[in-house]
Amino acid sequence: MDIRHNRLQKVARLHWYNVVDPVTKLLLALFLTLLSFQLTDLYFEAGLVLISLILLLLSRLSVATLHAVSFSLFLIATMILIQGLFNSQNAHPLVTILSITFYQEGVLYALTMGARILIIIFSIGFFMNTTTVSENATYLESVGMPYNQVYLLMSVCYILPQIQQNLKKIQFAEKARGINPQKTLIQKLRSLLPIMIPLIIKTFDQSINRSITLQLRGFNSPERTIAAPMYHYFKTKLSHYFLVLMIIILIGCKLWQIIKNFL
Amino acid sequence: MANYQKLSINQLSFTYQHDRVPVLNDLTVSVPLDHIIGIIGNHHAGKTTLCRVLAGIVPHIIAGNLVGSCQLGDQSPVQDWPAYNQQTGFVLQDPHSQLSGLADTVADEIAFDLLNHGVEETAIQQRVAAVAAQLQLTAQLQQSPDSLSGGQLQRLAIATAIVTRPTVLILDDPTSEMDPQGRSDFFNWLKTVTHTTIVIVSNEIDELCEIADELWVLEKGHLVSHGTPLQVMNHLSPKWQVATPTIYQLASLMNWPLATKPTLFPVNFNQLRRCVNVNHSN
Amino acid sequence: MKAKNINDQDSRFSTWKIHLTVATTTLIPAAVGINYIAKALAEGLKLPLWLGSLGTFLASMLAGPTAGAISGFINNVIYGLTLSPVSTVYAITSIGIGIAVGILFHRGWFQNAKRVFVSAIIIALVSTIISTPLNVIFWGGQTGVAWGDAIFATMIGNHINIWLASFTDEFVLDLLDKFAVAYLAFLIYRQLPQRMINYFKDNQ
Repeated sequence: MDIRHNRLQKVARLHWYNVVDPVTKLLLALFLTLLSFQLTDLYFEAGLVLISLILLLLSRLSVATLHAVSFSLFLIATMILIQGLFNSQNAHPLVTILSITFYQEGVLYALTMGARILIIIFSIGFFMNTTTVSENATYLESVGMPYNQVYLLMSVCYILPQIQQNLKKIQFAEKARGINPQKTLIQKLRSLLPIMIPLIIKTFDQSINRSITLQLRGFNSPERTIAAPMYHYFKTKLSHYFLVLMIIILIGCKLWQIIKNFL
Repeated sequence: MANYQKLSINQLSFTYQHDRVPVLNDLTVSVPLDHIIGIIGNHHAGKTTLCRVLAGIVPHIIAGNLVGSCQLGDQSPVQDWPAYNQQTGFVLQDPHSQLSGLADTVADEIAFDLLNHGVEETAIQQRVAAVAAQLQLTAQLQQSPDSLSGGQLQRLAIATAIVTRPTVLILDDPTSEMDPQGRSDFFNWLKTVTHTTIVIVSNEIDELCEIADELWVLEKGHLVSHGTPLQVMNHLSPKWQVATPTIYQLASLMNWPLATKPTLFPVNFNQLRRCVNVNHSN
Repeated sequence: MKAKNINDQDSRFSTWKIHLTVATTTLIPAAVGINYIAKALAEGLKLPLWLGSLGTFLASMLAGPTAGAISGFINNVIYGLTLSPVSTVYAITSIGIGIAVGILFHRGWFQNAKRVFVSAIIIALVSTIISTPLNVIFWGGQTGVAWGDAIFATMIGNHINIWLASFTDEFVLDLLDKFAVAYLAFLIYRQLPQRMINYFKDNQ
């Protein structure tokens, strides 16, 4: 009988990405991001976007990732607009719409930037969609991170979705009450105080109570049993060393380029 | 050395750092260990603060000025708090605050203290299962703590406090969100707990009089009365505004005093049964 | 934070250990939550501000610059990982804000409304100085706020240096935002019960 975690159940639902440890996934995201900043060729960037997109599609697509993508696509569009029209390097016209000329250099620049942003979103999305908070917590603790730091990171992860839900309720109630009559910015800010103050006092009170509880429950105890990782990961050390090496090389290249500019 | 078998409080006063007025004022009382002590009193009587003193939360975690002494057997919450804390279970007023905030399941939540204290996994499994059975949480073990009802959450809070097998159990209004059945189950269970000094703050005066060995009445930070429920309830001052148990009200209305002490009225079921039997046989 | 320390296995974690009390450990998630609420309320009221550093401000005021800096950092990292990946890089800005607020508060620059005015300008400057390079690297100098970017576009259109244009874009927005947040934090802090202020002060 295993009442705490039913490992058999999990093995039955094991996916390919479960054998990759969370830190490797994060390092991979960092590596892809840095690589995209190292490259300047748009074809390579497109290739990287494709690779990270495939990673994401092979796992699971979450609503949060879709939101992030749609938000940044909008920003990328405004970037193309501004850079295509006004970039200081602009020289060669690309296309003219209604007597407004977009230039090659600016559009290329904006597209490169946009590709980098998409790479970040896709690769981090891969990490987020394929790991759970408790998996990350147990893994970090198992590799030696102090428990209070693990706790801190994980409790923030737990608090955000909770708050998001509460807020939806508040906003729904506000909508039901009708549009705020306040006109000026200061009036609007003032109107925030009566909502914020009780909410903030309650939130801080909860954290005081929780800190008392944690101390009562032996949170700081040096005897704590270190959690065992949830899955058997494939070659964790090797992949960490390899990715860290690649990341160091990429950072080194970038630094060298910057120093060379000054020389 | 006699007080090694006692919970003794001596001239204890406490003032929070942010306050000028003492919350507890010159308390002196002593009871044998392994008794059940019920604390009653109105709002702002100092009940929660007294619990905090007994658990060592003040002045160890919340700062303030503590005068006098508090001793439980050979241990004191003021000196060597970490060792004392391992012997103590505390249930807060608000069960949400009792949770670690990180556990995915009720089982993990109960196991939190045991993990912190380095207990073996097999022992954890056994103790979690045993405690869950005691508090009727077995069916909820795989659920998320967020999915529990108020009463279930309070039982979970109690489970997390007793899983470490404390010798002192401090309960600050642990039944406020329970339904009547849950409340009665809880007090019945509390009666079965042995080898533990239990301090419980509660408004459930009927139940307290059934289970408590001793009642302490607090009023504005003063300990105005203490003794067995029978003594305390029969010598209440109206200005303390303390409720009396239904049995006491009934017996005094019907004029059914105790056969052995004709000036006193019964406060619990056993006493009532005895005096009703005597009255009938007359 | 996570990514940087992966190679530091086992005992080497202790080399970057930051002393965290239990009170700070539970204050930081609350601060992150408040950041999020404030940000969402600002969006809900259609304010041209972010307000997303209110919790960081309060954490710095209650528990010092380190707590504020950690709140800000973790706020952006977790927010970035879960909701908006690119905001992760602005974690550095948040660290700067947390430290600046903590120091200014400690020196008494949150005591009255006049002093808060000066504090807000200093904090806005700190924030802009750190954010501008990030804006240039990641967004070609834009901030993502429509009317700030309109200023940016006009300046670029007039052949003004991208750094100066981006700095202006960011500073105008930051100044307004930090004024609002600093005054909100100042007003809210005065309403906090003394026991709360003492608790976090004692447990630093």
